Amino acid sequence: MVIKVENLVKRYGDLIALDHFNMELHEGEVLGLLGPNGSGKTTAINCILSLLKYDKGNIEIFGKPMSPDAYDIKRDIGIIMQNVAVFEELTVYENTDYFCGLYVTDKKKRRALVDEAIEFVGLKDFKKFYPKKLSGGLLRRLNIACGIAHKPKLIILDEPTVAVDPQSRNNILEGILRLNKEGASIVYTSHYMEEVEQICSRIIIMDKGKTIAAGTKDELKSMIKAVEKVTVEVYQPNEGVLTGIRSLNNVISAEFDGEMLVVKCGKGSHNLMMILEHLKANDILFGKVYSEPPTLNDVFLEITGKELRD
Amino acid sequence: MQVYKAFFKIIKKNLIEISIYLLVFLFFAILMTTTGSDRQNIGFEETKKNIAFINNDKESEIVAGLRDYLSEKANIVEIEDDAEKLQDALFYRKVEYIVRVPAGFSDDFLSGKEFQLEKTTVPNSTAAIYMDSLINKYLNTASIYLKYSDSASQDEIIKNIKKDLEAHTQVTVNSFNTKKANGQKYMYYFNYMAYSLFSVMILGVCAVMIVYNKTDLKRRNHCAPIKTRNINLQLLFGNLSFALIAWALMVSTSFIFYPKQMFSLNGLLFLLNSLVASVTFLSISFLISNIIKSKNAMSAAANVVSLGFCFISGVFVPQEMLGETVLNIASFTPTYWYIKANIRIAETVEFSMKHLKPIFTDMLIVLAFALASVTVALVIMKQKRTSEA
Ligand SMILES: Nc1ncnc2c1ncn2[C@@H]1O[C@H](COP(=O)(O)OP(=O)(O)O)[C@@H](O)[C@H]1O
Ligand SMILES: [Mg+2]
Repeated sequence: MVIKVENLVKRYGDLIALDHFNMELHEGEVLGLLGPNGSGKTTAINCILSLLKYDKGNIEIFGKPMSPDAYDIKRDIGIIMQNVAVFEELTVYENTDYFCGLYVTDKKKRRALVDEAIEFVGLKDFKKFYPKKLSGGLLRRLNIACGIAHKPKLIILDEPTVAVDPQSRNNILEGILRLNKEGASIVYTSHYMEEVEQICSRIIIMDKGKTIAAGTKDELKSMIKAVEKVTVEVYQPNEGVLTGIRSLNNVISAEFDGEMLVVKCGKGSHNLMMILEHLKANDILFGKVYSEPPTLNDVFLEITGKELRD
Repeated sequence: MQVYKAFFKIIKKNLIEISIYLLVFLFFAILMTTTGSDRQNIGFEETKKNIAFINNDKESEIVAGLRDYLSEKANIVEIEDDAEKLQDALFYRKVEYIVRVPAGFSDDFLSGKEFQLEKTTVPNSTAAIYMDSLINKYLNTASIYLKYSDSASQDEIIKNIKKDLEAHTQVTVNSFNTKKANGQKYMYYFNYMAYSLFSVMILGVCAVMIVYNKTDLKRRNHCAPIKTRNINLQLLFGNLSFALIAWALMVSTSFIFYPKQMFSLNGLLFLLNSLVASVTFLSISFLISNIIKSKNAMSAAANVVSLGFCFISGVFVPQEMLGETVLNIASFTPTYWYIKANIRIAETVEFSMKHLKPIFTDMLIVLAFALASVTVALVIMKQKRTSEA
């Protein structure tokens, strides 16, 4: 077990940011913490790293209790904070060297590690650049280089792709998978469900400081009743259409989103056919048609009654 | 070592702003050496002040000599020794300064006992400070003669002093003034240094401490396997090194401009005094760095605090030109005591404990400011720490 968090409670005054939060990270996993803004992801990370005092709970890392002066534990952790934490006054190279140097004192070894980290995030041509001269995406990559240069066994990334261009985003996501392949266990927080689905082997969905669901993405999706989402473009949407569709077998819900009829269906192999036949039989004209498996957003929606992204 | 190294990289990034103050200082230092002699004394001589000299003692040589000496520097106005009349004379500014020689003064002085001249003056008088210094100078000179004449009887001593004063008064006074003129010139160098040193210190220390006090970077540093105490210790050494370098740079030019004076005891005292001031400026800068958050605030503080302190303390305008109220306020700043010590050092000709003690006292007061600033800074830091968690 790399990280074990039990019944973590953290209050900011009256606000309960973490409400008996539990989490386990196994060796070799990429664990996703998925939750909307303000759900307590950063607070959880800060507590795990002993950056914040918490009111209740137990935190173990590498099987040992974590504390502010557990330096042997800290040595093996790489942290990429939500807010980019680099020195404006230091270049890309100097920044990476500074943070790596807090972990690795041997100069020669460090030089190799720093070069490797800079190469890894694709900032080789920017070594002498100051952070101010980097775009948002490159700055995030520098933040990552500073966190991983010392080759930690556990890497924690807190929303590393916020405000990042698609190219940097892909670079970052691929990088995380490569680090994982090289043996690092990873905690990845995000409010982007697509990213979490894409790279995480296990996912914890958070809301209001609580775990509301956990498992692999398939496990999570099988937790909900709706397994298929059918979307049909209807030219003359009206209540009658909805009533008709809702009366069908296997249909869980039907709503209009503008001209788009969104129908959620339970398990069954002919949902799409059934809906289209119903429309034809009732002379309802329709255009484009999609059928999709449910997303984590649907999971979140079904459990909490609200969208993941507001 | 990472933190210590980063300290100087951050300084390097801010070097332009910092070195402006160094260059301005150098400019003024050159200006001071190239401009003519002591404008100040001339100014005083052009407007001789009116003073009253009341002698309640016997008409001894020493009293007469003092009166003669003062009459060269001021107009001695004859006023009857009557409390009310003297008050009126002061009130209507007929005189600005009254010195009264108490009975028994001559004997006390000659036998080396403690003595006290009574002085009455109008408020905010620049003449008072000037006259005080003249009287002190005369009596200091006389006491040196007294000390080094081995004659047995007092009569003879008085005669010797008189003879010496008569023979050398002109010479003595002149040489004294020359020394003072030189002393004042490089005293101004060290006085002005307070401003540059203070500004440089605030800019340098704040530039680094603002960075290290940023919440995000602080947290990031806490994630690493390095003790907070270790980080703070490296920052402390960074700050001390920076202060030492800034001080060394600024005093080094004094050896170029005033080589002869710097290799003297006065020079040594000036160096010591400015070093002590550097420590205090460093501490105050550290305190400021814990209060301000942005670089704009840092530049503002460098200007407001250092310029403000220095202005009221007599860095740019001599202390004797500043009003009493201003000086009273200024006594709550370390620069005031630094300048005061500089003035004393410039006037010191005899390096006995009696003359050095007030200088060291001033330095201790300057150091007390350092202690106070660090204490307040530590309290603020502790409060911040508890409110953050
Ligand atoms: N320092 C703080 N003081 C008070 N409330 C805070 C503080 N930090 C976070 N919060 C609150 O705690 C909740 C969780 O925040 P956070 O952990 O940052 O969420 P996330 O990272 O998932 O967006 C939010 O409601 C936020 O407003
Ligand atoms: Mg967050």
